[in-house]
Amino acid sequence: MAKTYHKPTFIERIRANYFSTWLDTTLTLGFGALVLWVLLGLFDWAFLNAVWSEAEREQCGHGSGGACWAVIDARWRLIFFGLYPFEEQWRSAIACIAMVVTGALSCVPWFWSARRLPVLWLVGFAIFYVLMRGGLFGLTPVSEQNWGGLSLTLFIFASVTLIGMPMAIVFALLRRSHLPMIAGTMGVIIDTIRSLPLLSIMFTFAIVLPFVLPGWAVGDKLYRVIVGYALFFACYQAEIIRGGMQALPAGQEEAAQALGMGYWHRIGYIVLPQAFRNALPPTINQLVITFKETSLVVIIGFFEVLASGNAAYGTAEWNFAHIEVYCFVALIYFTFVFALSRYGAYLERRLAVAAR
Amino acid sequence: MKYLLSATAALGMMAGAAAAEGRLDTVLERGKLLCTGHNGSFLGFAEVDDEGNWKGLDIDLCRGLAASLFGSSEGTMDIVPISWAQRWPALQSGDVDVIIKLAGWSQSRDAELNLAYTQPYFVAGFHVMAHADLGVEKVADLDGGSICVSAGTTTERFLAAYIENLGIEAEIIVFESGDEVRTAYFNRRCDGLTLLAPPLAAARATSENPEDHVILPDVIALEPSGIIVPEGDPKWLDVMNWMLTSLWFAELHGITSENVDEFRDNPPSDQIGKFLGVTPGYGDRLGLSNDWAYNLIKEVGNYAEIYDRNIGEPYALPRALNNLYTNGGLFYPLMVD
Repeated sequence: MAKTYHKPTFIERIRANYFSTWLDTTLTLGFGALVLWVLLGLFDWAFLNAVWSEAEREQCGHGSGGACWAVIDARWRLIFFGLYPFEEQWRSAIACIAMVVTGALSCVPWFWSARRLPVLWLVGFAIFYVLMRGGLFGLTPVSEQNWGGLSLTLFIFASVTLIGMPMAIVFALLRRSHLPMIAGTMGVIIDTIRSLPLLSIMFTFAIVLPFVLPGWAVGDKLYRVIVGYALFFACYQAEIIRGGMQALPAGQEEAAQALGMGYWHRIGYIVLPQAFRNALPPTINQLVITFKETSLVVIIGFFEVLASGNAAYGTAEWNFAHIEVYCFVALIYFTFVFALSRYGAYLERRLAVAAR
Repeated sequence: MKYLLSATAALGMMAGAAAAEGRLDTVLERGKLLCTGHNGSFLGFAEVDDEGNWKGLDIDLCRGLAASLFGSSEGTMDIVPISWAQRWPALQSGDVDVIIKLAGWSQSRDAELNLAYTQPYFVAGFHVMAHADLGVEKVADLDGGSICVSAGTTTERFLAAYIENLGIEAEIIVFESGDEVRTAYFNRRCDGLTLLAPPLAAARATSENPEDHVILPDVIALEPSGIIVPEGDPKWLDVMNWMLTSLWFAELHGITSENVDEFRDNPPSDQIGKFLGVTPGYGDRLGLSNDWAYNLIKEVGNYAEIYDRNIGEPYALPRALNNLYTNGGLFYPLMVD
């Protein structure tokens, strides 16, 4: 008699997976209750007992046991825009949106060409810079030290990635060079920078460099920090790309050579595209880390979103509400990082189609 | 980090030696004062209001300084956001003209970092706050209990020494950040909490029930904080010292931002007339306009007004040592003549 496959129903699967033995049942119920208890408590705190508007501030914290979202209601502009002049904050908001839209558009495959992508980012950056810095089209100038909040975080992240990524490719290629002088020097540079903490690199670029550089080359502190951070990013990313390149069979490049393809063709059409595909998961990882570590610029006095959050609860009125502010900032970070990770997962699926 | 800081400061000295022109002339020429803010918020001294404007005791001194130099702080002052670690190099490199950032006067800073301090404008004590239901009245009563403190600060060392001197057994529990140590105390992880008086008062004032906590009178250590300028610039230092004197002199004679006009129209004495610029002299000697003290008081008020506005009212911290000598405090104006 032929065996027939019985497709398990939903309930049968649940029973088999979670309640098959006494031990399983106990564990499921125990942990289920624990998770439920935590979630309910959280829900209670964040929604049911919460105080939502600034007008009801008096009810905050006095035994209600709920979150005081009133602090966000009162101080959200500070968290998003930092020290940016109050009347001009619409500019910071539009600049922020422009940056996000540019980032989102560059995820659309239509833009993935050597011509469209740079144009897109040039336009995006130009809009951002003109709006934020002012001085053109009758906008009042706002100096970089008053930039802040989410706009600053996004600007630093986008600039670091855009400067750092091409640098990383160059570093990776130099490190693979057949000339031992070049490969060796590049290796020493990468290893040196990687062995320094990011914090001290930022500190050096922001504070020590002005003593060393000639006056015309100093520039604003913000741009020095971005260059320093981009260098740091490039060194890590270069090793990730090199890893991706080494995973390629040597035969591919040799075959291309045998066909008479030049260096740039080999790199541009054969090595790099495949290397990037291999290196995609660690690259997304690196981008996520870079996004989160932008908060380190607080050490040189920038009001990025975390420092703005600190300022938001740092008054006599709101000092008790630091947990709510941190939750809100965490939510902002989560939104961006989660979107980035999901996009990474989408890319992996898309590229996997090509590999099959 | 520490090595980096001292290396930076050493570089700064070389750069400072090259700039022969005094900071006062540089600032007056530029038409703008670059003063220190904070990277976030330092309760009572540098905070940011709903509209992103700075306020606080240190910020008011910056505003007062700008008003003294230029007549008004409107458009003549930039508050540069600066972290604790960054303040010395920022002064040396010229990112800021002066440090008004509640910086304690220690020998190493004074001697090694090439800084010059004014007379202290704020003397903060490290105190211990305890839960009221424990019934403690002084630190010695915490024998056998525990005290929370934040790591990496001078507080930890001072507290350990103080407890040792008292000869009591108290457990010191160390936490990383200010938020953590406060939360730990309010969740009763420890019986006492040690902080600098202003943040301690802030923690008490913003807690659910301020009456549940008592700030013990013991002073674990004192931190006198002055305004800081680079060493070797006496004219610039003079301006700072005489600004502080003017704030205390005004308080001593009851001159406030409200009634300063009446005082100027009808000076009760020649001394006050000269102080407010009715007769010349008080400004000329410093290289400022003669009515600079009037502008200063008009803009920010006397010391009492500044204190009450930023510390006294919001955080209910008594002035104590920060009173004038006539009220049992440490402060006194120099001789105005």
